[in-house]
Amino acid sequence: MSAISRGRVCVKTAGKDAAKFCVITDVLGDGFVEVTGPKKLTGIKRRKCNILHLELTSDVVKIKAKATDADVIKAVTDAKFADKMKAGIAL
Amino acid sequence: MEPRFRSRSFKRLRVKLPGGDNVIHYRRKGVSKAHCSLCGAVLPGVPTGRAEKIAKLSKTQKRPERPYGGVMCSKCARGTIVNKIRS
Repeated sequence: MSAISRGRVCVKTAGKDAAKFCVITDVLGDGFVEVTGPKKLTGIKRRKCNILHLELTSDVVKIKAKATDADVIKAVTDAKFADKMKAGIAL
Repeated sequence: MEPRFRSRSFKRLRVKLPGGDNVIHYRRKGVSKAHCSLCGAVLPGVPTGRAEKIAKLSKTQKRPERPYGGVMCSKCARGTIVNKIRS
Protein backbone atom coordinates (compact mmCIF):
# COMPACT_ATOMS: atom_id res chain seq x y z
CA MET A 1 0.00 0.00 0.00
CA SER A 2 1.81 3.13 -1.24
CA ALA A 3 2.39 5.94 1.22
CA ILE A 4 0.49 8.27 -1.08
CA SER A 5 -2.99 6.94 -0.54
CA ARG A 6 -6.37 8.05 0.70
CA GLY A 7 -6.32 9.11 4.35
CA ARG A 8 -2.61 9.99 4.51
CA VAL A 9 -2.02 13.10 6.66
CA CYS A 10 0.39 15.50 4.96
CA VAL A 11 1.75 19.02 5.30
CA LYS A 12 1.82 21.45 2.40
CA THR A 13 5.32 22.81 1.83
CA ALA A 14 4.73 25.35 -0.95
CA GLY A 15 2.28 28.11 -1.68
CA LYS A 16 0.30 30.30 0.63
CA ASP A 17 -0.99 27.24 2.49
CA ALA A 18 2.54 26.07 3.32
CA ALA A 19 3.08 24.59 6.80
CA LYS A 20 -0.59 23.60 7.06
CA PHE A 21 -1.85 20.06 7.54
CA CYS A 22 -4.14 18.31 5.05
CA VAL A 23 -5.51 14.86 4.31
CA ILE A 24 -5.35 13.11 0.94
CA THR A 25 -8.89 12.31 -0.18
CA ASP A 26 -8.19 10.93 -3.65
CA VAL A 27 -5.20 9.96 -5.80
CA LEU A 28 -5.65 11.54 -9.24
CA GLY A 29 -2.56 10.10 -10.97
CA ASP A 30 0.25 11.85 -12.91
CA GLY A 31 1.68 13.00 -9.61
CA PHE A 32 -1.47 14.73 -8.43
CA VAL A 33 -3.73 14.04 -5.45
CA GLU A 34 -6.84 15.67 -4.10
CA VAL A 35 -6.34 17.08 -0.62
CA THR A 36 -8.57 18.80 1.90
CA GLY A 37 -7.67 20.49 5.17
CA PRO A 38 -10.59 20.49 5.72
CA LYS A 39 -11.08 24.24 5.45
CA LYS A 40 -12.79 24.49 8.85
CA LEU A 41 -9.90 22.70 10.55
CA THR A 42 -6.74 23.90 8.83
CA GLY A 43 -7.87 26.38 6.19
CA ILE A 44 -6.95 24.28 3.15
CA LYS A 45 -9.88 23.93 0.74
CA ARG A 46 -10.51 20.67 -1.08
CA ARG A 47 -8.35 20.95 -4.18
CA LYS A 48 -5.94 19.19 -6.50
CA CYS A 49 -2.35 19.33 -5.32
CA ASN A 50 0.98 18.23 -6.73
CA ILE A 51 2.61 15.57 -4.54
CA LEU A 52 5.91 17.46 -4.79
CA HIS A 53 4.27 20.23 -2.72
CA LEU A 54 3.37 17.78 0.04
CA GLU A 55 5.41 16.37 2.89
CA LEU A 56 3.90 13.07 4.00
CA THR A 57 3.63 12.38 7.72
CA SER A 58 3.55 8.95 9.33
CA ASP A 59 -0.13 9.36 10.29
CA VAL A 60 -3.04 7.82 8.36
CA VAL A 61 -6.79 8.11 8.99
CA LYS A 62 -9.46 5.75 7.66
CA ILE A 63 -11.84 7.60 5.32
CA LYS A 64 -14.05 6.19 2.59
CA ALA A 65 -13.87 7.25 -1.04
CA LYS A 66 -15.59 10.56 -1.79
CA ALA A 67 -15.56 11.38 1.91
CA THR A 68 -17.09 14.72 2.76
CA ASP A 69 -15.21 17.27 4.85
CA ALA A 70 -17.41 16.36 7.81
CA ASP A 71 -16.32 12.71 7.52
CA VAL A 72 -12.70 13.76 7.39
CA ILE A 73 -13.04 15.98 10.48
CA LYS A 74 -14.71 13.13 12.34
CA ALA A 75 -12.00 10.63 11.33
CA VAL A 76 -9.24 13.07 12.27
CA THR A 77 -10.73 13.92 15.68
CA ASP A 78 -11.29 10.24 16.44
CA ALA A 79 -7.63 9.57 15.65
CA LYS A 80 -6.66 12.49 17.96
CA PHE A 81 -4.79 14.39 15.19
CA ALA A 82 -7.22 17.36 15.18
CA ASP A 83 -5.33 19.60 17.61
CA LYS A 84 -1.97 18.98 16.01
CA MET A 85 -3.43 19.63 12.55
CA LYS A 86 -5.25 22.77 13.68
CA ALA A 87 -2.09 24.21 15.16
CA GLY A 88 0.00 23.60 12.03
CA ILE A 89 3.79 23.85 11.90
CA ALA A 90 5.19 26.72 13.97
CA LEU A 91 7.39 28.83 11.71
CA MET B 1 21.66 75.79 -5.59
CA GLU B 2 19.86 74.87 -2.37
CA PRO B 3 22.32 73.90 0.39
CA ARG B 4 20.94 70.38 0.70
CA PHE B 5 21.79 69.64 -2.93
CA ARG B 6 25.48 70.19 -2.28
CA SER B 7 25.72 66.78 -0.63
CA ARG B 8 26.32 63.63 -2.69
CA SER B 9 23.14 61.95 -1.43
CA PHE B 10 21.44 63.53 -4.45
CA LYS B 11 22.02 62.35 -7.99
CA ARG B 12 22.64 65.06 -10.58
CA LEU B 13 20.58 64.79 -13.79
CA ARG B 14 21.56 67.05 -16.72
CA VAL B 15 18.30 68.01 -18.47
CA LYS B 16 17.93 69.90 -21.80
CA LEU B 17 14.79 72.04 -21.62
CA PRO B 18 12.57 72.72 -24.70
CA GLY B 19 13.82 76.31 -24.62
CA GLY B 20 17.30 74.96 -25.30
CA ASP B 21 19.04 75.74 -22.00
CA ASN B 22 20.62 72.97 -19.90
CA VAL B 23 19.75 72.65 -16.25
CA ILE B 24 20.63 70.19 -13.48
CA HIS B 25 17.82 68.29 -11.77
CA TYR B 26 18.49 66.60 -8.42
CA ARG B 27 17.00 63.25 -7.56
CA ARG B 28 17.33 60.86 -4.58
CA LYS B 29 19.46 57.79 -5.23
CA GLY B 30 17.93 54.39 -6.01
CA VAL B 31 17.80 51.45 -3.55
CA SER B 32 19.01 47.89 -4.10
CA LYS B 33 16.66 44.98 -4.86
CA ALA B 34 15.36 42.67 -2.11
CA HIS B 35 17.45 39.52 -1.65
CA CYS B 36 16.75 36.10 -0.12
CA SER B 37 17.99 35.96 3.47
CA LEU B 38 19.49 32.49 2.92
CA CYS B 39 20.84 32.19 -0.61
CA GLY B 40 21.00 35.86 -1.61
CA ALA B 41 18.94 35.47 -4.80
CA VAL B 42 16.93 38.45 -5.96
CA LEU B 43 13.36 38.09 -4.68
CA PRO B 44 10.63 38.14 -7.34
CA GLY B 45 7.34 39.72 -6.29
CA VAL B 46 9.02 42.37 -4.12
CA PRO B 47 9.08 45.90 -5.61
CA THR B 48 12.22 48.02 -5.42
CA GLY B 49 11.91 51.69 -4.59
CA ARG B 50 12.24 54.22 -1.87
CA ALA B 51 9.91 54.05 1.13
CA GLU B 52 7.39 56.62 -0.08
CA LYS B 53 6.93 54.84 -3.44
CA ILE B 54 6.41 51.42 -1.81
CA ALA B 55 4.18 52.75 0.98
CA LYS B 56 1.53 53.65 -1.59
CA LEU B 57 1.25 50.02 -2.76
CA SER B 58 -1.26 47.60 -1.29
CA LYS B 59 -0.08 44.88 1.06
CA THR B 60 -0.19 42.10 -1.53
CA GLN B 61 1.83 44.18 -3.99
CA LYS B 62 4.66 44.48 -1.49
CA ARG B 63 5.49 40.80 -1.07
CA PRO B 64 4.25 37.32 -2.04
CA GLU B 65 1.47 35.83 0.12
CA ARG B 66 3.59 32.84 1.16
CA PRO B 67 5.14 32.05 4.53
CA TYR B 68 8.52 33.79 4.51
CA GLY B 69 7.22 35.77 1.49
CA GLY B 70 9.56 38.67 0.80
CA VAL B 71 12.16 37.23 3.21
CA MET B 72 13.25 34.03 1.51
CA CYS B 73 13.06 32.78 -2.07
CA SER B 74 10.51 30.00 -2.66
CA LYS B 75 13.17 27.25 -2.68
CA CYS B 76 14.73 28.31 0.62
CA ALA B 77 11.29 28.82 2.20
CA ARG B 78 10.24 25.32 1.15
CA GLY B 79 13.50 23.86 2.49
CA THR B 80 13.08 25.63 5.82
CA ILE B 81 9.48 24.46 6.17
CA VAL B 82 10.42 20.87 5.32
CA ASN B 83 13.20 20.96 7.92
CA LYS B 84 10.76 22.28 10.52
CA ILE B 85 8.27 19.54 9.66
CA ARG B 86 10.89 16.85 9.96
CA SER B 87 12.38 18.10 13.22
